[in-house]
Amino acid sequence: MTGKSASGTSRVLRDLRSLRVLLVHPDDQDGQELIAQLQRIGCQVKAFWPPAEKLPDEADLIFLAMRPEFLSMDLPWARRDDVPPIIAVVNYENPTTIEAVLRINAIAVVASPVKSFGLLTSVVLARHLAEARRSREHYVARLEERLAGLRKIAKAKTILMNTRGLSEEDAYKVIREQAMSKRVTTEEIADAVIKANEILGFETKTKAGPTSR
Amino acid sequence: MNALSKEPISVGVLFSETGVTSVIENSERMGTILAAEEINAAGGIEGRELRLVFRDPESRPVCYQALAEKLILEDEVRIILGCYMSSTRKAVIPIVEKWHALLMYPTLYEGFEYSRNVIYTGAAPNQNSVQLAEFMLRTSGSRVFMVGSEYIYPYESNRIMSDLILERGGDKVAEHYLPLNASWDDYLIIAKKIKAFNPDFIFSTVVGDGTALLYRAYQKVGLDPARMPIASLTTCEAEIQQMGAEVAEGHITSAVYFQSVAGEVNARCVQKNKQRFGDGVVTNMCWEAAYFQTHLLANALRQVGTDNVRELLRVLPGSEFAAPQGLVRIDEDNHHTYLRPRIARVNTSGQFDILEEATSWVRPDPYLVDHTLQDWSSRVRLQAQ
Repeated sequence: MTGKSASGTSRVLRDLRSLRVLLVHPDDQDGQELIAQLQRIGCQVKAFWPPAEKLPDEADLIFLAMRPEFLSMDLPWARRDDVPPIIAVVNYENPTTIEAVLRINAIAVVASPVKSFGLLTSVVLARHLAEARRSREHYVARLEERLAGLRKIAKAKTILMNTRGLSEEDAYKVIREQAMSKRVTTEEIADAVIKANEILGFETKTKAGPTSR
Repeated sequence: MNALSKEPISVGVLFSETGVTSVIENSERMGTILAAEEINAAGGIEGRELRLVFRDPESRPVCYQALAEKLILEDEVRIILGCYMSSTRKAVIPIVEKWHALLMYPTLYEGFEYSRNVIYTGAAPNQNSVQLAEFMLRTSGSRVFMVGSEYIYPYESNRIMSDLILERGGDKVAEHYLPLNASWDDYLIIAKKIKAFNPDFIFSTVVGDGTALLYRAYQKVGLDPARMPIASLTTCEAEIQQMGAEVAEGHITSAVYFQSVAGEVNARCVQKNKQRFGDGVVTNMCWEAAYFQTHLLANALRQVGTDNVRELLRVLPGSEFAAPQGLVRIDEDNHHTYLRPRIARVNTSGQFDILEEATSWVRPDPYLVDHTLQDWSSRVRLQAQ
């Protein structure tokens, strides 16, 4: 969901003024350049250094300086599902640094020395990609849920067909009618059928067994 | 252009005279001075004196940055010779790029860099790390203990070394980093850990004053270089002098130059260096790069007749010089230098016995991610192991 309407400016662009940016960066020339340019753009900027295990504040976007002395530091917040998009600020381009950029799951990179030009595009692109990534993840989660539901219904149908001698079509009708009358989803009915069968199946088996305990 | 005016050409020199890396940087300063005096004795740059403007950045990156800008703006130099640690080079690069000046950097480093405004005359990892890994795996074994100073060069060097050792089925038993100003006690703790882990060899990327502390701590806990040597890319004659030959003897270094390199050019330069700075003064890889890069610069200045950086960059890449290590050449594409890898062991007098050397120079490849042990196919063995 990028907020792109048929006419008018993208939402990610219009939202820049309310964007809360957390700058995890030393107070040096790059840090000052970042703050100044982000403020020119109109974002709300808070800066702190060194990186901490906890994020000190809520944020919509994080800039993180990839300084060699902190590359091996564990940042639990960077692995969280709901972490805001991270833009890495790099001053080295060797594999050690690049691997650290991959580890924090950065969505964009800004190179040191930081220039004011290009930062706006990076911010917007990072937000756009992060939203696209998030909505894709939601979509995949929904699909997985639906797929699991379909598998349950198929299993419940088989149980009904075997135990009641129903056709596949009739088995599905039973599930759907039950769902309608109880006002629940067909997946929930299918779930109940499967669970009931597990319990009943277990009892039948023990009763019919050649040796009872 | 100004060939007829006898105004000197000023060049900035940024080597620390104080701070943790001052010993090796003093050596780089000497190499620069020796070359400049040779150049001036031979008539300078078409009659113009090559004048060195020295500043002491105290081994601190912020000072390098501030002094580089001062040199350019106040002393009006277009060229800076200097820097040792990567952090100091990184601090200077934005300045030389901003003012379109030139930095010539005579130190080995971790690679993965190119700037139009920098010439790199020290070794890239494909010119020292691969050779060291191959040698140590062949002669000592494959269980390595890694110890380094806390900055980017050791991290990246250890990444390369780990890959090479794992490729051979070896084992990294530990990896430790110490602050640049770590104390004797810190090194003693590391030495005890080494003893407990009992690796086949130690890979050290400790730099500066810590180097002497590491080797002394190693000796203090009673370890034997013949059985478990420290292998290094940075421990050179300067550090050995600082710690004493009896502490360093038996340990291994991979470098493109040692004072003991054979040949008439080196013999002459070492002799001159002693005359100039004293009999006890030793040369080393960083001294040599500082020396030959100053000559490469002088040749380029003569060729274009100006210190205009755009003009200099037309002729510096691709230029060659008969350096103490042998012929060297600046690569046109990546601004690094073709150099000659060597492996050596410290002897009783604190000098290096060269054990192996490449038959010719090796092209610098600063963006090589995946090194393989086969890279050094042109190795020649000088002395049986």
